[in-house]
Amino acid sequence: MANGNPEGRTAAALPGTGPAAAPASARRGLLRDVRHLALFTGKRLLALFLTVVVGVYLTIIIANMGGQVDELRMAQIQSEVAEQVRGDPAFHDLDSEERQELMQRQIDLEVERLRLDEPFIWRSFDYLRQAIFLDLGRAEEMHSDAGSRQVYNIIVERLPATLLLFGTANLLVFFVSVFAALSLSRRYGSRVDQGVIALAPSSAAPGWFYGIFLILIFAFIWPLLPSGGMVAVPPPEDPWAYAASVIRHMALPVGAMFISQIFISIYSWRTFFLIHSSEDYVEMARAKGLPDHLVEQRYILRPTLSPIVTSFLLMLIGLWSGAIILEQVFNWPGLGTLLFEAIGHRDTPVIIGSVVIFAYLLAATVFLLDFLYAILDPRVRIDGGSQ
Amino acid sequence: MAGPPLLEIDDLRLGYATERGTVQAVDGVNLELRRNEALAVLGESGCGKSSLAKALLRTLPRNAYPPTGQVRLDGRDVLGLSEERFRREVRWVRIALVMQAAMNALNPVVRVGDQVAEPLRIHRGFSRRAALQRAAEAFAEVGIAGAFLRRYPHELSGGMRQRAVLAMALVTEPDVVVLDEPTSALDVLTQAAIMNVLKRIKQERGISFVLITHDIATSSEIADRVALMYAGQVVEEASAQAFFTEPAHPYSQRLMASVPRLDQDQPPAAIPGRPPNLLDPPHGCRFADRCPERFDRCSEPPPATTLKGRHNVRCWLHSKSRGATT
Repeated sequence: MANGNPEGRTAAALPGTGPAAAPASARRGLLRDVRHLALFTGKRLLALFLTVVVGVYLTIIIANMGGQVDELRMAQIQSEVAEQVRGDPAFHDLDSEERQELMQRQIDLEVERLRLDEPFIWRSFDYLRQAIFLDLGRAEEMHSDAGSRQVYNIIVERLPATLLLFGTANLLVFFVSVFAALSLSRRYGSRVDQGVIALAPSSAAPGWFYGIFLILIFAFIWPLLPSGGMVAVPPPEDPWAYAASVIRHMALPVGAMFISQIFISIYSWRTFFLIHSSEDYVEMARAKGLPDHLVEQRYILRPTLSPIVTSFLLMLIGLWSGAIILEQVFNWPGLGTLLFEAIGHRDTPVIIGSVVIFAYLLAATVFLLDFLYAILDPRVRIDGGSQ
Repeated sequence: MAGPPLLEIDDLRLGYATERGTVQAVDGVNLELRRNEALAVLGESGCGKSSLAKALLRTLPRNAYPPTGQVRLDGRDVLGLSEERFRREVRWVRIALVMQAAMNALNPVVRVGDQVAEPLRIHRGFSRRAALQRAAEAFAEVGIAGAFLRRYPHELSGGMRQRAVLAMALVTEPDVVVLDEPTSALDVLTQAAIMNVLKRIKQERGISFVLITHDIATSSEIADRVALMYAGQVVEEASAQAFFTEPAHPYSQRLMASVPRLDQDQPPAAIPGRPPNLLDPPHGCRFADRCPERFDRCSEPPPATTLKGRHNVRCWLHSKSRGATT
């Protein structure tokens, strides 16, 4: 289609060709599209799976310090077994040689159980296999509030708290900033616009920094809201009262995140919309006499939906890992706090478990995005179908 | 071609705010367009011809000052209309625009047919079906098969996109179509094809065109009248016949001499120098610095002089008061 004239003219000269040829070619086109789609899906899945495998394996290596953790664990087992044997009155009358032998046996058992006698590199592949099949194993030190030592249970118990807090804050920031930005891009250079630009550097400070001030002001100087936690102690029985209590506890951390993110977010979306509202087709739409709201919907938002949706979805999955310091500051029982504790305890299974789940979520999102792009942008669709 | 002017531009002035001051892009332009007439506005890049087109449809960029002067359609000033009334009563109802489609004139994520049909739905309240029906007729008129209505812009070649943009301008049957460099990015064959479509439409539909271009050859194909702009002003305006055969302004003459010709041996002559800075245009004739026929009076603004016929030129050489002070 380098030069459209010949096609355009022949097609015009033979008005029957277009519609008559349409069904047959459409069916052929559909078949070709399905085959192409299957191939594309397969390729993408394979690529994403490899990405997950590499990511998880790197985490396994790093969390185990490339096998260094084994030596620490060895020393730990030795001291624990020694402690146990010495502290057990049943073994008090054994002579030292027998006791030594007993200890060695117990250590050997433990080493065999943890398979520390095998080289780390072999075990690392085993860990990888388990992680990939979401067999996250047992935590070494930590347990869930309900008492389970399964890494999966520990993570799942903390997940809702993080999602609630960060989901609320980020959704608020996202929608407020996109719509504020759209209206600012129309009032480019106005006082409000300049104000937002001036305030954008406020986002250099993280949410927890504002959190400290918010706690100081609204929990201590002017005690309106609780300074931390997720719900009052003891938790209210009535579900409405419970919800109200959670909302009161959320107000400050959500406020802190909102303050720290909103201005930079509006600023960047505003710039984004400004760039896209100087496209020729936007000028054309205005010249055509479309009312402003239609120009915005069809000619600014619609063509830019792909990057907007991308950033929205990446934000959504980014939520799940939470923010370690913010949760600490507000004493919020979420995943950030969990990860912080896991690192402190050197609880490798918990750390790896978190990463595995995140890697899968990320891969699933990217996969979903590939299809959304095709729905949102016809150029992606057709280019894929014809090449 | 008699009759009252359909479109009159009267002392139109338009400036852009820049960091270094105001750029006076259009500085006192007077033009008129009659029914079924094609007016070519010629000029080098930066002479203000595109700003003129944008001012006609009020699609000026954000840093433009509101234009002053008058733009009259059938004698009624539309420059003073409110934004909303201008949108409802002028845009695409009276004046439509054809941009360079090779650029980005079509929304990449909306089917071409829907974009072509859109003005009918906005201004005439057509149903989607009826509007698409009319869009198909407009497609036939510009020589594209109706099947392409369902395609997206990137599936069309440059020439077809340009035809689609043209069809979009015709669906609402406006009185004036402003063509802003409609063929600049197309190859010569496609250019010729588009110009033929334009000529046919002009004959069949009686639409008036304002053709903004830097391409003298293209403009000579279709124009009934030619206005040549230089540094924000119209320096000469005449019938195409008069302009191309006996240009009166020294700039017009030099411009015509700069067009390469196959039938003559001498190489095309460039005009030495460059157009004046529109941040601070010279007080007198704006072409004076580059003009070989410059004389004392040229340091004063030349008056618009009407030669025989509707032939207007802004040059002291043709002024009756020439030499009054010499």
